[in-house]
Amino acid sequence: MTPADMDQALELSPRAVRPSWRDRVLRGLIGALALAALIAMAVDVGVTPTALAAGSGKLATFLRAMIPPNAGGELVRIVRALGETFAMAFAGTVLAAVAALPLGVFGAKSVVPQPLLHFGFRRVLDMFRGVPALVWALIFVAAFGLGPFGGVLALAIADVPGLAKLYAEAIENCDEKPLEGLRSAGAAPPVVLRYGLLPQVAPLMASQTLFFLESNFRNAAVLGIVGAGGIGFELEERIRIFAFDEVAFIVLLYVVCVAVLDTISQRLRARLA
Amino acid sequence: MTAAVEVFEQERRRVLRRRRAEALIGLLAFSALLALAFQRSEFFSADIGGDPLGRIGEFLARMVPDLKAEALLEDRQARGSLAWWYYDLPLWLRTGWQTVEMALIATTAGAAAACFAGFACARNLMPLAPVRFVVRRTLELIRTLPDLIVALILVAAFGVGPLAGVITLALSTFGSLGKLFAEVNEEVDPRPLEALEASGAGLARKIRYGVLPQVLPNYASYALLRLEGNVAAAAALGIVGAGGIGVELQRAITYTEFDTYLAILLLIVAMIFLIDIGSEQIRHRLIGLGAKR
Repeated sequence: MTPADMDQALELSPRAVRPSWRDRVLRGLIGALALAALIAMAVDVGVTPTALAAGSGKLATFLRAMIPPNAGGELVRIVRALGETFAMAFAGTVLAAVAALPLGVFGAKSVVPQPLLHFGFRRVLDMFRGVPALVWALIFVAAFGLGPFGGVLALAIADVPGLAKLYAEAIENCDEKPLEGLRSAGAAPPVVLRYGLLPQVAPLMASQTLFFLESNFRNAAVLGIVGAGGIGFELEERIRIFAFDEVAFIVLLYVVCVAVLDTISQRLRARLA
Repeated sequence: MTAAVEVFEQERRRVLRRRRAEALIGLLAFSALLALAFQRSEFFSADIGGDPLGRIGEFLARMVPDLKAEALLEDRQARGSLAWWYYDLPLWLRTGWQTVEMALIATTAGAAAACFAGFACARNLMPLAPVRFVVRRTLELIRTLPDLIVALILVAAFGVGPLAGVITLALSTFGSLGKLFAEVNEEVDPRPLEALEASGAGLARKIRYGVLPQVLPNYASYALLRLEGNVAAAAALGIVGAGGIGVELQRAITYTEFDTYLAILLLIVAMIFLIDIGSEQIRHRLIGLGAKR
């Protein structure tokens, strides 16, 4: 390409290389407005450099107090609390899976072909999929008293919409041919489901459920904060009395446990797939 | 021939036996774990009354507001009207907006920081291996910390209010987006970069004209997805004192106003839903735009 070619190309489409001044000014203006809006919001909620500076000193003290981590002589209690947290996550996931199964079947397009019903059902699931477990836990603990019962329920309810959606998709995406084959061979509907559908969807569903178990164990710490017991309770107690060396110890142990569970679950999922 | 069949049959029986044994062990382990989990989590424990289903029903009855059809559209003073149920709507809308603001600020700050981290740990853009290693490990560390624990510590440091929530969300956004952005960066088409390099462009120009046009739509799409999650998370963070509409949830529980809790919960659901729809529209347009180019 010679300079003459370049000139000709520029003449043909002058905006190919550099945008017009109008576009540039407009773009700058939109950027400046967005920035101004963001700063206004930050000031509105109190996110200012002074506030940041005021707390950072305290935060630095906290972080320094975390080293070295220390169990504070309560290792047994901490391990028990971790076990309780896992128990809540496991029980919650199983309950969620049991509840999500019929919902997932009902939500599958191949089972309920009526489009309006299908759409409405899915939308309702979508709406509640966003509600965090903590929001459920807060009211369940208030209603059912302190203890893990509310925590288990909260995890279960928070998971149901997401699991149901995944189950529905698993059923929708299955291959129709084995089912047709069984039907044409004269199999009864339960037999068609057992040998046509189940082998296709069960591994997928199991793997998705395991994935939810992982995430529930990771999130189950939040339950203790509102009084559902487990590791979150131990953590909150220690943050409240500024025992940050013990906080650091618990967080480290918890992170290790999460990593172990993730690895086991990943192995299981790899075998299922 | 029969010998071969015999060998095959033996093998088949062996495989079947092993599979059955594995299934049995798996089932036993699962049941034991399940029993232990329900026992440890006191699900059917008698000392809190047993009968979980009955208690759930009782609780639901307390949560559903006592609305009356004839008074539905009257003002706040009338028991059983909608306005009576949503008696503090202006405050809830204001704190709800605060939650959205928290999510917007945190997502922007986290995404901006993630941009730098994404370049600093992309194999094709950052030649210094030690820098990549440090940035990658830092991002990983941030991702493993549970959000709510971080929030609790930050509330202790920065006091009750949205600031602690914003920092928490910005941190976790940084952790997750930094990794995603780095992955996007590593998947760019190397040919424009080579062309720029051949024409003598430095690293800054290579990024500006070679990488950014390819990655920006993906960045924006990931950031918006994260924004959706952050709105929900910000609502929950209020419960531990980090500002926004979660504070009102906590207050409703303190006064055991279960019907108020349901009112605010529905408001949060609607808010998350609206944000999701808006962000989904933009994301789809961004991806469409990316494909057209």
